[in-house]
Amino acid sequence: MLISYNWLKKYVNLPDSISAAEVAEKLKASTVEVEGIEVQGKNLENIVVGKIITCEKHPNADKLKLCKADVGNEQLQIICGGSNVKDGMLVALAKVGAKVKWHGEGELIELKPTAIRGIESAGMICASTEIGLGGMFPLRDEKEILDLSFIVGKAKQPHGLGSTNKGFVAPHLASHKDKFVGRPLAEALGLDDSILEIDNKSLSNRPDLWGHYGIAREVAVLFNKKLKEFKTGKIKPSKEINLKVEVEDTKLCPRYMAVAVSGVSVEPSPQWLQKALLAVGQRSINNIVDITNYIMLDMGQPMHAFDASKITNSTIVVRKAKDGEEFVTLDGLKRNLDSSMLMIGDKDKNLAIAGIKGGLDSGITDGTKTIIFESANFEAASIRKTSAKLGLRTDSSARFEKSLDPNLAALALERAVELIVECCPQAKVVSKVVDEAKFNLQQGPLAISLDFFHKKIGVKLAKKEIIKILEHLGFEIKTSGDEFKVKIPTWRATKDISIPEDLVEEVVRIYGYEKIAPQLPEFFIDPPEENKLRQLERQCKNILVNSLAYTEVYNYSFVSGAQIAKMTDNPDRYLQLDNPLSKEKPYLRRCLLLNLLENLENNQAGRDRLNLFEIGKVFRGENPGLRVESNKDSLLPGQDTWLTAVCLEKKNNAPFWQAREVVDILAKTVLPGLEVSKSDAGGIGRHPTRSVSLAVGEKIVGSVYELHPQVIENFGLDGRVAVVKINLSMVVDLPAAGEKYSALVEFPIVERDLAISVKKNINHGDIMAALSAVNPLLQSVELFDVYEGKGVGDNYKSMAYHFVYQNRERTLVTEEVDKVHNEIIKILREKFGAEVR
Amino acid sequence: MQSKFAQLKTEALLALQSIKDKMQLEELEIKLLGRSGGELTNLLKGLKDLSDDARKETGRLANEVKKEIEDALAAKKKELSAAGLNEMLEKERVDITQPALPKKAIGHFHPNTLIQDDLEDFFTSMGFMVLDGPELESDFYNFTALNIPETHPARDMQDTFYIKGNADWVMRTHTTSVQVRAMQKYGAPLRAIVPGKCYRNESTDPRHEHTFYQLDGVVIDKKINFSHMKGVFQAVADHLFGKDTKIRLMPKYYPFVEPGVRGEVTCFICAGKGCRVCKNSGWLEAMPGGMIHPNVLRAGGIDPNEYQGFAFGFGLTRMVMLKYGIEDVRLLESGNMKFLEQF
Repeated sequence: MLISYNWLKKYVNLPDSISAAEVAEKLKASTVEVEGIEVQGKNLENIVVGKIITCEKHPNADKLKLCKADVGNEQLQIICGGSNVKDGMLVALAKVGAKVKWHGEGELIELKPTAIRGIESAGMICASTEIGLGGMFPLRDEKEILDLSFIVGKAKQPHGLGSTNKGFVAPHLASHKDKFVGRPLAEALGLDDSILEIDNKSLSNRPDLWGHYGIAREVAVLFNKKLKEFKTGKIKPSKEINLKVEVEDTKLCPRYMAVAVSGVSVEPSPQWLQKALLAVGQRSINNIVDITNYIMLDMGQPMHAFDASKITNSTIVVRKAKDGEEFVTLDGLKRNLDSSMLMIGDKDKNLAIAGIKGGLDSGITDGTKTIIFESANFEAASIRKTSAKLGLRTDSSARFEKSLDPNLAALALERAVELIVECCPQAKVVSKVVDEAKFNLQQGPLAISLDFFHKKIGVKLAKKEIIKILEHLGFEIKTSGDEFKVKIPTWRATKDISIPEDLVEEVVRIYGYEKIAPQLPEFFIDPPEENKLRQLERQCKNILVNSLAYTEVYNYSFVSGAQIAKMTDNPDRYLQLDNPLSKEKPYLRRCLLLNLLENLENNQAGRDRLNLFEIGKVFRGENPGLRVESNKDSLLPGQDTWLTAVCLEKKNNAPFWQAREVVDILAKTVLPGLEVSKSDAGGIGRHPTRSVSLAVGEKIVGSVYELHPQVIENFGLDGRVAVVKINLSMVVDLPAAGEKYSALVEFPIVERDLAISVKKNINHGDIMAALSAVNPLLQSVELFDVYEGKGVGDNYKSMAYHFVYQNRERTLVTEEVDKVHNEIIKILREKFGAEVR
Repeated sequence: MQSKFAQLKTEALLALQSIKDKMQLEELEIKLLGRSGGELTNLLKGLKDLSDDARKETGRLANEVKKEIEDALAAKKKELSAAGLNEMLEKERVDITQPALPKKAIGHFHPNTLIQDDLEDFFTSMGFMVLDGPELESDFYNFTALNIPETHPARDMQDTFYIKGNADWVMRTHTTSVQVRAMQKYGAPLRAIVPGKCYRNESTDPRHEHTFYQLDGVVIDKKINFSHMKGVFQAVADHLFGKDTKIRLMPKYYPFVEPGVRGEVTCFICAGKGCRVCKNSGWLEAMPGGMIHPNVLRAGGIDPNEYQGFAFGFGLTRMVMLKYGIEDVRLLESGNMKFLEQF
């Protein structure tokens, strides 16, 4: 929303010593976000009104024009790229020495004489944004230069859409085009205002701030000035037209006021009105439309004017649309209605979408003689829903959806009648003032104590100060000792203020957040409960990154149907978004692998090896999660945290072992008790003979495997891929294996190495199991080499083991060791058909 | 005989002076002291032919000469070996500018992890629990319990991801969704932070992401007030941006707090002077927060007449971008190794 500083000053007497920038700063600190200030006419030195005399194509460039322009005392040759430049046009001409922003961006740059494509150019014909007037004259197309022809009243204002604008009565200048030529631009446009740009989002809870008067009320409080009372005169009713209003749904329309005025002539607005609208970027259309717009920008109350001759029987009906009904709005677009939408109509037809936009057929035309002003209040939620459904947001809907004060409607109607009489002296009210009202504002009073403020803020404010702030904001206060009864003003009572805490905010924001000294809270020493899962995540990350050289990625939680298909999985198993951002990735991940494989694909060029991992939540509809509400039985889907690591090795035929190494290291460090299971629980996309489940005790908690060659091909990967998956949520809940120290033994150990050759189908795990209880002297067995190929028969492999013998009570003698070692060899021969190599 | 010893000593010491390396030294040693044919050895052998008296006197001299020669040889040996070691060490000189080879692969943490871990540790040191909750959350915990009414724009389809077939399941739009769960589980007093992944239905561009990370915090006790919130904001700002960081609070509306504020910190890049990052304002938007709305406390089963508190939240993703000067937010979830390898 744009706020004119001059307009504000109509309501608050601010001395010249207070600048718009200071006002903006205070508003920012206490009320709303001010995104910027545009000081009109700033940096407009050496920019004048120029008149295009000739305009031809640039001989060396298709998109440029070679113009001659009159700037009063001389003619300049200028190259211009504007899409709309033409002969006779009045333009904003920046002479050499002027400062402009190229294409409205970056720093101001001082113009110098230059040559463009070989032809000299002595200045620049400017777009509005290049000279800081973008707020006043919004750009419609990026190459559009500012057409000033409207200032002499013979052309339409910029962007006028077939409007009935008959002219802008320029201030203090005769309306002859040539008298403007050469004038400084700031003077020609009467620029003496500053425009505050306010972020609409920061106003979402403040229906009272959607007009200049509301902002002025805040400014008056912030600068401790008096706010001028908003005075309007009562409307004198008459009976020439029997205006009637029937409101069918008083919930959606708590108040509807209307009055008919005849004797109007649709004309250009007076200069002050045009200038006021122009300052805040509103194009002037005609006096009637301008009055309704002006009142909206002034007070925040949207209004509408109907041509009375188009309303059957002078009876307005406020009702819901029928499903499937169509309606053509003022902009010429056909809108599809449904029965949730509130309409303004008469007995026969629709006239407007309530609170959002008028219809094409009932609008004001040049020939309109009698009008009906609408000043109404509509329910916020309904306006917002309708506006969202229709994709139609207007200045009017933006205000109604904030919950406007119904009392504003009466003031606005009175003001509208005053203004129409000012613009058209023949105009007169020809009906009674219809007021269909059924609303009830919760104005309190709220009970609050002085102590409550202290308790919430942490600073003791003087009672006097609190009362002063609240009263200045319009609250009415009755005190009894340190207890207050606070009546909420109507403009704050629709939703913004309803509990004592709201009053605390009012006081503290005006008092000044900067005056509250920060202090740290005091607590009893109470060690926080540990988040074991988060600690485990961090430990795993440390090992993976620092010990195993894996790189951590963060991926989206969404996957595509194509990814699921590549994985040879079934999309029906996946939870799905109702409204995905891209149709491409509507599914919620069940597993971190799909996106990790995409990471591998995207990074594999030029790398022989890629080690990636992610820790994150997955979504599985079949698993039970937390309750949706504490007292409801239905559950969210399970969302366990998984660790998934992938390893792509282009020059390795069995990266399974790299993945297995990850498991072994994690098991040795942060996941004691994690081991490969004897069986493979199986799974989608796995290499059938290089896959195994991971377990802690009896519980399967993950898997380690190579990806199925078909899946590798589907994902377009250049090498074998191994995968480790561990469900950390599950692991963290399992009892930790008791790790104990064993006493050091000082008697010497005896070491023996043994290489055997066995058939390939013999498992290391079975060998270990067979040797585990052979003899207590055997302290450890470790596999240190496995070899297949030359020197070992086909179908055979060589396995080399390292044996450590020790007696924990005395020194061993060789014979004892030989005896056990031979026993081992015997077991290996008999059970596994091993041959000692 | 005595003169022969004296002469040998003179000759030997002279010869020793011209010795240049260990080989010559060894030769000289053999020439003088060799068991068979060593000049001194031969002289010593001659001692036995002398008379008792002469042998006694000459013997003493002979021992002196022998010791002197041996000492001189030993000294020379030491001198030569020191010189040799230095020469050898010089030959072993390495190119200290060269990196260790072969290069060892190292892994990388995601930058968000680095910032998040740091903040988790910081808040833990102040006695906060670190919590998380479901990312696919019920409409109740994400909205209703937080005093966000049915008609609030945040619930629009264009702002929130909904789940097909379950109208009241959403992808959480903030980690504030854990607030009421935490109140219900732990009651008051409560100190907790909730870092985590959030989702908004928003088209992506260099400054917008549909997936981002947030850190939410909550402090509830009997006497927790607005000035405490400001104190914690200041502590966080000091920790993140340095001790001289200033903060300022401005009003901002969130349905789940009252009063609600947005906190800004002086730009750590230009120290408040104004630069491109802070758009010349000298300030960076950092932390929204506010005093917890009584309706939210009630939803969490906490009596707002007995307890009060504040909540705050800030974008971890935004902190990561600010800290490392990342200009395109989409890089964070790109899985691009060229990006990740920098951390």
